[in-house]
Amino acid sequence: MKPIAIAAAVLVPALMLAAPPVAAQQATGRPAGDFRLFDANGRAVTLSQFRGQPVVLEWNNPGCPYVRKHYDSGNMQRTQGAARAMGAVWLTINSSAPGKQGHMTGSEATAFVRSAKAQPTAYLLDPAGRVGRGYAAKTTPHIYVVDARGVLRYQGAIDDRPTADQADIKGARNYALAALTDLKAGRAVSVAESRPYGCSVKYAG
Amino acid sequence: MAGGGAARYVPAPMLRQAGAVRALLYALVTLFAAGWAVTVQAQAVGERHLALDLVPETTAPRAGTRVTLALAGVPAKGWHAYWQNGGDAGVETRLDWTLPAGVTAGALRYPVPGRLLIAGLMNYVYEGPFALFVDLDVPAGLAPGTRLPVRVRADYLVCTEEVCVPEKATLATELTVGDGAVTPATRARFDAWRAAFPKPLGSVGTFQLANGRFRLGVPFPATADGPGADAYFYPLTQNAIDYAAPQRATRDGDRLVVETKAATAAQPPASVEGVLALGPGRGFTVRAAAGAVPPASQVPEGDGIARPAMLAFAGAVLGGLLLNVMPCVFPILSLKALSLAKGGGSSEAAARREALAYAAGVVLVCLALGALLLVLRAGGSAAGWAFQLQDPRAIAALLVLVVAIALNLAGLFEVLTPAWAGRSGSAGAFATGALAAFVATPCSGPFMGAALGAALVLPAAAALAVFGGLGLGIALPFLALGFVPALRRRLPRPGPWLATARAVLSVPMFLTALALAWVLARQAGADGVVLGLGAALAAGLGLWWAGRRQAGGRGGAWWPAAAGAALALAAVLPVRPEARAAAGAVATAGNEPFTEARLAALRGENRPVFAYFTADWCLTCKVNEKAAIETRAVSDAFRAGGVRVLVGDWTDGDPAMGRFIEAHNRAGVPLYLWYAPGREPRVLPQLLTPAMLAALPKEPNG
Repeated sequence: MKPIAIAAAVLVPALMLAAPPVAAQQATGRPAGDFRLFDANGRAVTLSQFRGQPVVLEWNNPGCPYVRKHYDSGNMQRTQGAARAMGAVWLTINSSAPGKQGHMTGSEATAFVRSAKAQPTAYLLDPAGRVGRGYAAKTTPHIYVVDARGVLRYQGAIDDRPTADQADIKGARNYALAALTDLKAGRAVSVAESRPYGCSVKYAG
Repeated sequence: MAGGGAARYVPAPMLRQAGAVRALLYALVTLFAAGWAVTVQAQAVGERHLALDLVPETTAPRAGTRVTLALAGVPAKGWHAYWQNGGDAGVETRLDWTLPAGVTAGALRYPVPGRLLIAGLMNYVYEGPFALFVDLDVPAGLAPGTRLPVRVRADYLVCTEEVCVPEKATLATELTVGDGAVTPATRARFDAWRAAFPKPLGSVGTFQLANGRFRLGVPFPATADGPGADAYFYPLTQNAIDYAAPQRATRDGDRLVVETKAATAAQPPASVEGVLALGPGRGFTVRAAAGAVPPASQVPEGDGIARPAMLAFAGAVLGGLLLNVMPCVFPILSLKALSLAKGGGSSEAAARREALAYAAGVVLVCLALGALLLVLRAGGSAAGWAFQLQDPRAIAALLVLVVAIALNLAGLFEVLTPAWAGRSGSAGAFATGALAAFVATPCSGPFMGAALGAALVLPAAAALAVFGGLGLGIALPFLALGFVPALRRRLPRPGPWLATARAVLSVPMFLTALALAWVLARQAGADGVVLGLGAALAAGLGLWWAGRRQAGGRGGAWWPAAAGAALALAAVLPVRPEARAAAGAVATAGNEPFTEARLAALRGENRPVFAYFTADWCLTCKVNEKAAIETRAVSDAFRAGGVRVLVGDWTDGDPAMGRFIEAHNRAGVPLYLWYAPGREPRVLPQLLTPAMLAALPKEPNG
């Protein structure tokens, strides 16, 4: 009885007080925060290791209907292929906490990438939501484009059609590719921020 | 994907087991599931999580008028639908209309939403039944009996805390051009829905984005009722605020200031629109232009949580300190202190460690109790209870509680320590501390009761602070004993002086009861205060009787107290706020409350009528009243001209009055109408001058 009472006495308030940390946003036009995550194969990946190449960050939760809109239609895979053809690095990040929608182990993530024929440079696992919160990633998908010097140039939605309808992909403006095109041409990114749309990121807590 | 079918991710536990088997199973599931393996069809396609219904206010609108259609939504349990701006996530509802030629649909209008913070992400949602409105304009010149089939496809998002499902619904109804009659049942439904829509505040606000802070200043009369601290600004404009950051609302003279963290956006907005909510389903549409907004000058009562929380915390520490002299805690404390005194000679460090462990035990148990209470409270508010001190029943219940506490302190009855709590044992100081808090709980009902009362009305963080403070207070003497050896030798011994000290403490409690009775009298009038005092008397008599039985050592001593409590409860329940006189805000004698019937009667008598519509929260209205309507020149002119003045008080958003206001092409107050005998009413400008009003009765043909 006593150990239980003590455990309860310690745990209950600890849980009550363990409020999720407030999301720290990354400012567009400022250096993007560096991070280190393990990919689906257990290799450590940092953002800074890709200095010299533009990097696209894509927040992913395969169970989210808005993510499925872009994967089932092949739009996300096409975007990944086009980005990499432009010399960009594509990092797909999963911040779903264990037990929440979209959480995957390394082998599950590998299976997902294979079955979806996705083409990210790496699929990164962020089950603690540390990087997700650090970037204030709010939805899946949520897109960030970092330029070759490590400066954040775009953050927001994948495109300008905030629906779950595959039919809306045709004719939509793909913000990720538009930003990469602007960067490649040495122009300022014309749409540097947009409101991300989709399911909320399934963080712990 | 299938057009937003009800796909749902289900974590398959079997997949979580070991190694190679998992990969194999995974591949199998991949084969069988359409789409990818991680999603499993959990419900039949077509099963919706939001029941949507298309309800016209009248099925027989007149040609050339506007008819309101409601999209009445009922989310399934645990699901929520989104406001126009979903917050950090969420998607706006889209409508695709199929309408007969000439019929046009207006913009979708949303009622005041609620907030749902999930894992640090803010969602602006509807968790219960709600209705969205759309106005259809029926063209003039259609013959009665013309059929108007109306079809709409709605695309919307519904979510639980775990999953989101975009759904589609196609809804249809048929209108027939007719006389515009509204059935009483439909009228009542629409009145209830309409009450939850934000009302136009009428005055433009100002916002300022500086140093990462967003500050919004909204004109709001100092005299208006309504909480300041509960106010919340729901922005429609993107890039204005950090949705998940807490907001602090302050009433400051004739304005309401909302301050929160600004969004870190590259391009701040030039103007800000949104809904300022003053409570669940009650709010105003607000538009603000960029400008300087000085911070709220003073910190008035009810501001945010900072000050009340500090006061409550200090009170709780003091209360916890007092608990130490309670007859059932003191023995434990002195026992423990004696053991400290014995061992203290050998190691000062050990004494300190023990004191800290004891303190930790006490504080954690108190926090756990507080957390439990907050969970109960959350459950309660989910069930629709509102714990508000504005409710006179809450005041009456507190009055009874405080009287009971005071009577206990005075020694009328005892709250006995259960036998099991007497065993202290040697499981370490932490356990002793935890035990002390547990032991303190039943026998210190008085102060726990006060903390409980505070926890019910304070925000969660402040409520936890109260319980933490209580624990700290209980632990303080022991901490002092652990760190100051000299104190251990001066420890007072338990004795009759304890009973005296306790009885003296009943005096402030009785004074508190007196203060509560005063508040009750202000809120609920003489009837309310008599009911409240009657309830206190019933509880007191029951407790007195219980105390007598205790003194006689009889079993079942508590049933008279239970009966008394039941009686007290019965007395508290009917306490109602005193009805305010409808035209109470108006100082001028001779004014009458507005009703359409009274207006028709006065018009029938061929009298000139000045009708005006006002609300306590409308600053423009108040300015006009003070500067024009309630001036001597105007009242003299009206008296000389035999003008009757009708006052419509729209403070509570009366739906019938709302319809009357809308019929004059105004969405809200102020509205000033001049009825010259036998003539069409004239809508006066929103800014009045005494000269303009005084001239009305003297107009030719006036």
